[in-house]
Amino acid sequence: MSHNLSYPELAALLQARAGVTVTPDDLEKPGAQFDEFGVDSLGLLGVVGELENRHGLKVTSGAESAKTPAEFLELVNGSLSAKAGA
Amino acid sequence: MTSRQQGRRAVVTGLGVVAPNGVGADAFWKATRQGVSVLDRISREGCTDMPLKIAGEVRDFDPHSVIDSRFLVQTDRFTHYAMAAADLAVADAGFRPDPEQPYAVGVVTAAGSGGGEFGQRELQQLWGQGPRFVGPYQSIAWFYAASTGQISIRGGYKGPCGVVASDEAGGLDALAHAARSVERGTDAVVVGAAEAPLAPYSMVCQLGYPELSLSDRPETAYLPFTAQACGFAPAEGGAMLLLEDEQAARRRGADVRAHLAGHGATFTGASRWKESREGLAAAIRTALDEARIAPEEIDVVFADALGVPSADRAEALALADALGPVAERVPVTAPKSGTGRAYCGAPVLDVTAAVLAMEDGVLPPTPNVTEVCHDLALVTGRARPAELRTALVLSRGLMGSNSALVLRRGERP
Repeated sequence: MSHNLSYPELAALLQARAGVTVTPDDLEKPGAQFDEFGVDSLGLLGVVGELENRHGLKVTSGAESAKTPAEFLELVNGSLSAKAGA
Repeated sequence: MTSRQQGRRAVVTGLGVVAPNGVGADAFWKATRQGVSVLDRISREGCTDMPLKIAGEVRDFDPHSVIDSRFLVQTDRFTHYAMAAADLAVADAGFRPDPEQPYAVGVVTAAGSGGGEFGQRELQQLWGQGPRFVGPYQSIAWFYAASTGQISIRGGYKGPCGVVASDEAGGLDALAHAARSVERGTDAVVVGAAEAPLAPYSMVCQLGYPELSLSDRPETAYLPFTAQACGFAPAEGGAMLLLEDEQAARRRGADVRAHLAGHGATFTGASRWKESREGLAAAIRTALDEARIAPEEIDVVFADALGVPSADRAEALALADALGPVAERVPVTAPKSGTGRAYCGAPVLDVTAAVLAMEDGVLPPTPNVTEVCHDLALVTGRARPAELRTALVLSRGLMGSNSALVLRRGERP
């Protein structure tokens, strides 16, 4: 069974790993950028590390440099479904 | 090389304190004036079963109430203190940075050990679970430079930034470095030091210092300049100051609290306290020369006061060497005997106390100390009123750095 990272889960991870409080709705807004929430690449790297440890997989490299939440979810979920399909 | 620009002078306009005896300059000064000792048994988790028992802990400080969690997750406790102290200094100065002039404000801190608590946590993850469990902020949080970087980022201060790693005396050297930035054209520098040495790994590192007091009694653990001197008690916390160009400060109507008139620094080798006499005396002479003042003009000395008999003796002799007969009568004080030594933060707290002492016309006492066994006019017991125009602050590090800083009281408009 495959599991996709959702906006609410991403918001929780950003809070825990990057100390940034942001609502799932704000993350999901069209055109939302990590920059505007104060999330930098080290913060995203922490989120990637947490996801990799939790799911025992390798997230596509470059995900930590994603500029937008939408792009980040796409890269992470690509990795998750690749694992599920393997 | 750029050099001093005509007419520029570094003045203190804001004080920010996070100390064991108070958060904020007012609370700190009230406790310092009263000679309150806050040395106590170390209570931090994982720290209570070590040979080091007594220290000055910062207990009235909740980082979550003053710093955005985005910065808290990235940083160690030493940076929490520094960021909070920087905010307090900027607010105390009534300083509002011009967003159009980000390069006009710099940041300089001194650091003695970096972020030991953060580093230990991440290294335990590395050892316990593997490299994939080490958080990315380990790459910045435990380094000496972390506080300067985070203060710069939070405040948008893009002027000259730096970190001085020159031992405890680095607290004074950082101020001198910042003053030079101001003289060369930077309008303001947020400068100082804060430390957080009370965490398990950090405490173990300190156990190697022969100068550390292993006493288990708060009232006798740190008694500089006495026959009972048995080493020093460490402390956490520190202070940040806002230094500005005098003209820039006056233009915006700020109070000029003091100016940094002279500085000298020397090096005489780790734990070589006998030799520190010559080095400290040389630093004092250099500072007086730069300030263009005679020994007679010094109204108070804030001593390094290590609390190790050979080091205390060397300091008393250094004062006699550099100041001559003045050394026997000039009031000397060491408020840090009531808080412990916050490494690089210690001399910056002394500078803060010196500025407040000059403003208030009061000599703060040396807590816990009663009988002095050196030829020094140490202020003990109660605070004393005094007309103070010029203060000399001294600092030595365990690794051999000696520094002296001369401060002169600001003229009120």
